[in-house]
Amino acid sequence: MKLILELILLLPILGSLFNLLLGRAPRRLGETVACGAIWGSFAATLAAAAAYDSPVTTEIASWLSAFDFKAPLVLYLDPLSLALCLMITFVCGLIHLYAVGYMHDDPGYRRFFVLLNLFVASMLLLVLAANLPLLYLGWEGVGFCSYALIGFWYQNPNNATAGRKAFIVTRIGDVGLALAIVWIFQLFGTTSITLVNQMGHGVPVSIITGLGLLMLLGAMGKSAQLPLMVWLPDAMAGPTPVSAQIHAATMVTAGVYLLMRLFPLIGLSVTVTSAIAVTGALTAFYGATCALAQRDLKRILAFSTISQIGYMMLGVGVGAITAASFHLIEHAFFKALLFLGAGCVITAMDHEQDVFRMGGLSRTMPATFYPFLAGALCLAGLPLTGGFFSKDGILAAVWQQGGTLSLGLYALGLLTALITAIYTFRMVFLVFGGSKEASSLSSPGSMGRAHHALPVVMQWTLIPLALFGLGGGLLNLPAYLGHGLLQQFLAPLGASGQQGLSPASELLLSGMAALVSLAGIALAWVRFGGDRRKQRVIEARQPARGVHAFLLGGWYVDDLYRLLFVRPYVWVSQVLWQRVDEGMVDKGFDQMAALLGRCGRGLGSWSCGRLYIYLLSLATGAALFIGWFALVAL
Amino acid sequence: MIVPLPHVLVLAAILFSLGTGCVLAWSSNVIMLLIGIEIMLNAAMLVFVGGSCQWGMVDGQVFALMIIAMTSAEVSLALAMVVYLHRRRKTVDADEFSELRDH
Repeated sequence: MKLILELILLLPILGSLFNLLLGRAPRRLGETVACGAIWGSFAATLAAAAAYDSPVTTEIASWLSAFDFKAPLVLYLDPLSLALCLMITFVCGLIHLYAVGYMHDDPGYRRFFVLLNLFVASMLLLVLAANLPLLYLGWEGVGFCSYALIGFWYQNPNNATAGRKAFIVTRIGDVGLALAIVWIFQLFGTTSITLVNQMGHGVPVSIITGLGLLMLLGAMGKSAQLPLMVWLPDAMAGPTPVSAQIHAATMVTAGVYLLMRLFPLIGLSVTVTSAIAVTGALTAFYGATCALAQRDLKRILAFSTISQIGYMMLGVGVGAITAASFHLIEHAFFKALLFLGAGCVITAMDHEQDVFRMGGLSRTMPATFYPFLAGALCLAGLPLTGGFFSKDGILAAVWQQGGTLSLGLYALGLLTALITAIYTFRMVFLVFGGSKEASSLSSPGSMGRAHHALPVVMQWTLIPLALFGLGGGLLNLPAYLGHGLLQQFLAPLGASGQQGLSPASELLLSGMAALVSLAGIALAWVRFGGDRRKQRVIEARQPARGVHAFLLGGWYVDDLYRLLFVRPYVWVSQVLWQRVDEGMVDKGFDQMAALLGRCGRGLGSWSCGRLYIYLLSLATGAALFIGWFALVAL
Repeated sequence: MIVPLPHVLVLAAILFSLGTGCVLAWSSNVIMLLIGIEIMLNAAMLVFVGGSCQWGMVDGQVFALMIIAMTSAEVSLALAMVVYLHRRRKTVDADEFSELRDH
């Protein structure tokens, strides 16, 4: 088991090192190694799953050790980390294959695969870490890879800025996590996650609340929750496989994972759980409304990711760990699928990302359309798709919680589900609906533009993701349809499931969710389906106004932050730079140097070069001295 | 000692002043400058010898011999420099050589 666990982690690192060190290797070999490393890791995870019977802790090596602080390199495999590892290695493996096709004419493919492999290694480390410093190492590792990959095409300053923005905003959250880790060590004298989780009862609730809120801050940064969500839409500047792998399927769920991991500790404080739930619900609503108005295909998906992670947070907040992790895994499948499909569309449209300039693609790109449609159905939560069951599980858990707050959150969640269905099918109708003429009507420039032929591998990778997205519900069927595999598997975590809910009311809740999602799809059809689509496309040529502009601008949060933080910061730096540094420090030194120079020149003017003046002054001086001594002596 | 020490000292002082005057007044000619320096050195030597006779110690005379040796070396070096300077600038005026002056 130890060897298997080591292999899971080591293979991606070795793949990364291979491409880093053997840069001269043939391209095909480098790509094969990069993909092989991830699939090897997947195979090792499968082996671990087959051999798994109880939680395993394996010490690989010692790492940090100073006085009584110890953070060895220990991996911890339990149902939660195993389920996530399976998902990560599988989805990332498919995305790697896709990336081979997507990056096939990019000269920087080596750097790309080095970072992509390193990312998977960091993510696996984050998931498998048995103590908090190790988790933090993975946490920062994925943050760095995300930064480097968002700005992958760094020659364009916008991309580099987007990378920096992501790095800085997530860093604000990381400070919270780092503080929480230090505090935990100070409180408990250990950083082992399992030990810390058992020790929570001996600590006052107020301290747990503080810890939990710091953790929540970390999760907000990483998982793009309100109010630190501004970086995710900009992160779409990276190549599409990066958006799929890092900013949809895996990294952004790290915050949710952190909260799930430490739920036995932070769940002791009602304040923290309510804060998590409220953050999640508000973010879900925020993301969904913004996605409703976006024009950029990838930005729609980015806001939808924010919204879906909000659902997961909501699930964690009401203590439904199973439902949240089920939605996490399910979301990884269908969101990766949607992003990869979007990547196919964007490549085929010659890097056009505006949904209003697309159209009629269902006929020209059927191999992309059907998987994309499957992903969209999951996202919209159409009954019997995986997305339906996972989202329904969370909403049912919120309902079950009872109380005014939970009911409010449930209503907000249901409203968000409606909006989700609308924006998803708005996107589908705009991109794939209509006829070809419609698309050329909307963008005269692209009339003669032939669709690019896509590398075959790009469309093939969509199919397994679509199958898992649609059939993912089998993993965790609600009680009225049998029993949940995941539910049983994750039971040792002590997560409260929906046991308390009677099948009838559960069926009722499911029916409600189904109705809402169908209503959303119908609304989207009324507004964007058929002939109405053409009208919307014509309307879209006018600049956005009113509520539409407000949503398009992401509630103007970016502008608000620019006003509140960026402007004052820039102003302060400008003052420090131009007034203090250049005006005082530099000028002070310059003036001192000038003064010394003037002194030197003044003294220098004494040297006239005439020998007799020197001699005369020498003689006069000597005479004066001797005269003085004589005077004193007498 | 036949000559009293004060006389020797007065003579030495006169010689030294003459040498200094020569150096100051005739600085336009490097050779005259050297001669002035020689006279000043000799005045100092005279004081050494006078002192040595007064107290009956040879140290002063040994020092005088040292000064003679040093002077001969100095003069030969200085004259060589004068010849070199004359060749370069066709002059022996000390005020012409003022390259070390600032600006």
